Amino acid sequence: MASPLRSAVDAAASALAAERARIEVAVSNLANIESTRSAEGGPYRRRDVVLQTAPVDSFDHALGRASAIGVRVAAIVEDTTAPRRRYEPSHPDADADGYVALPNVDPAEEMVDMLSAARAYQANLTAINLIRDMVQRALDLGRA
Amino acid sequence: MAIDDATIIDALRRHLSLAAAKQVVAAGNLANLNTPGYRAREVSFADALDDRLASAATMRATHPAHLAGAPAEPANVREARGLPSRRDGNNVQLDRELLAMTRASGEFAAAQTALAAKFRLVRYALNEGR
Repeated sequence: MASPLRSAVDAAASALAAERARIEVAVSNLANIESTRSAEGGPYRRRDVVLQTAPVDSFDHALGRASAIGVRVAAIVEDTTAPRRRYEPSHPDADADGYVALPNVDPAEEMVDMLSAARAYQANLTAINLIRDMVQRALDLGRA
Repeated sequence: MAIDDATIIDALRRHLSLAAAKQVVAAGNLANLNTPGYRAREVSFADALDDRLASAATMRATHPAHLAGAPAEPANVREARGLPSRRDGNNVQLDRELLAMTRASGEFAAAQTALAAKFRLVRYALNEGR
């Protein structure tokens, strides 16, 4: 049997990866807040991380045992809201009416996302430390 | 009524398992702090105790995946009740889960200390008091 505490660490570690992905996506959204050209053509589109639960130990999970439920990044999707438009006829990407289509990124939203991801990251690090203390104490039982 | 060492050690072992199960469940909840639609889970001690008492009398296979004669785990995980949901259907509360983890850590430490003391006594007896 895999140690249940190890599955807890695995779950917390999966959350660290997922929250880091959220921060990375928020940062790239902020970095491209003025990018009027992208690989797909048109302005950069805001990206969003979709999280999904993922049992870390499917065997324990199937037996109905207390196994931790981890998390994984299910997809990174594009925000489909319309791009912002700004009147700037001198811009090389301006349309016939003089409007430039800018990415649909809202700095406030990205900041809130980053804060929430950073908090969750911290919480999971705290969890890993607590579990490590427990494992250490369990190992102490074997010492003379 | 005499309580032998094996009974005490077994009770402490179950206490350790229960604390570990609580830790595992809380860690899973924390991991899914931002997963839409995730419902917080918790280990219910009363349910676990009932299960334990029921399984002590007869060993029943209540789940097709149960192995015959396998000892029941003292952990019963169910969805936490009475927690307000956020707009995305998630009802994990950061402080609640961290508190549960700290508490489980404390319980584990207490049981471990008692178990270590018990082992020390057994070792003392084995070494004929030396």
